[in-house]
Amino acid sequence: MKEKNEKSLAKYGEGDAELTREGPVFVPVADIYEKDDAILVRCDMPGVEEGQIDITLENNELAITGNQAGFRPEGYDRLSSEYETGVFRRVFKIPQLIDREKIMARLRNGVLDIELPKAEQAKPRKIAIATGS
Amino acid sequence: MYWTDHGTWSPFDEFRSLQREMNRLFDGYDGGTSLSRYPALNVWGNGENVVVTAELPGMDAADIDINVVNNQLTIKGERKADTPAEGAVCHRCERGTGSFVRTVRLPFAVEGDKVSAKYDKGVLTVTLPRHEASKAKRIEIKTS
Repeated sequence: MKEKNEKSLAKYGEGDAELTREGPVFVPVADIYEKDDAILVRCDMPGVEEGQIDITLENNELAITGNQAGFRPEGYDRLSSEYETGVFRRVFKIPQLIDREKIMARLRNGVLDIELPKAEQAKPRKIAIATGS
Repeated sequence: MYWTDHGTWSPFDEFRSLQREMNRLFDGYDGGTSLSRYPALNVWGNGENVVVTAELPGMDAADIDINVVNNQLTIKGERKADTPAEGAVCHRCERGTGSFVRTVRLPFAVEGDKVSAKYDKGVLTVTLPRHEASKAKRIEIKTS
């Protein structure tokens, strides 16, 4: 458990990203769920305010960007630093057709939930098998 | 760990901390007795307070347990697994769940009953006021 935690929850740097903003870029850890009528993406984004999140879906690419509010208390010295703050950025390829109008996102306790409802034609359909007589 | 406590310096402490660091370096080869490094902590301080912050997304404030004994701060907690919707299948599961404990030694003793903590946007901030007895005292030099 401990090892898994440390591996999966550590922040990974994204080497090839170039942003105009200064500061490190992290790849947020994510879970991707699928249900019959939607795809759900859940990302860990601690320290990001609602207004600082940008979600775009272009063609099949879902891009999530979140700027962390860096904590820097005034009049304090940094005694020890084990993590840095910066920008979370991650891009996913979504193979299914998505109903763009109905995408919903919610941020709670530093976790971002995005619901991407499948388009009507991408929903699973039960095909009746006709039995030959 | 991070600070040398000059008041109680002992060469054996130095050895022990070196041993801990070595264990940490070879984490996973020591039979699992090394201390946990999760969550990562940032520590800030001035003459009055120490502020410790940790990124703990997706928790309830009630599931975080903070304990202070002298100058040892322990943060305990559990991130519970929860599925966003019933019947949803997970294709990619990177977010870990489970419990964690982390203990750190602070640079000075703190007032245990005046410690305050805040959990906001997945970030835990613990403010620990410095113990009166450990505060630096300015000594006036009298000239005759």
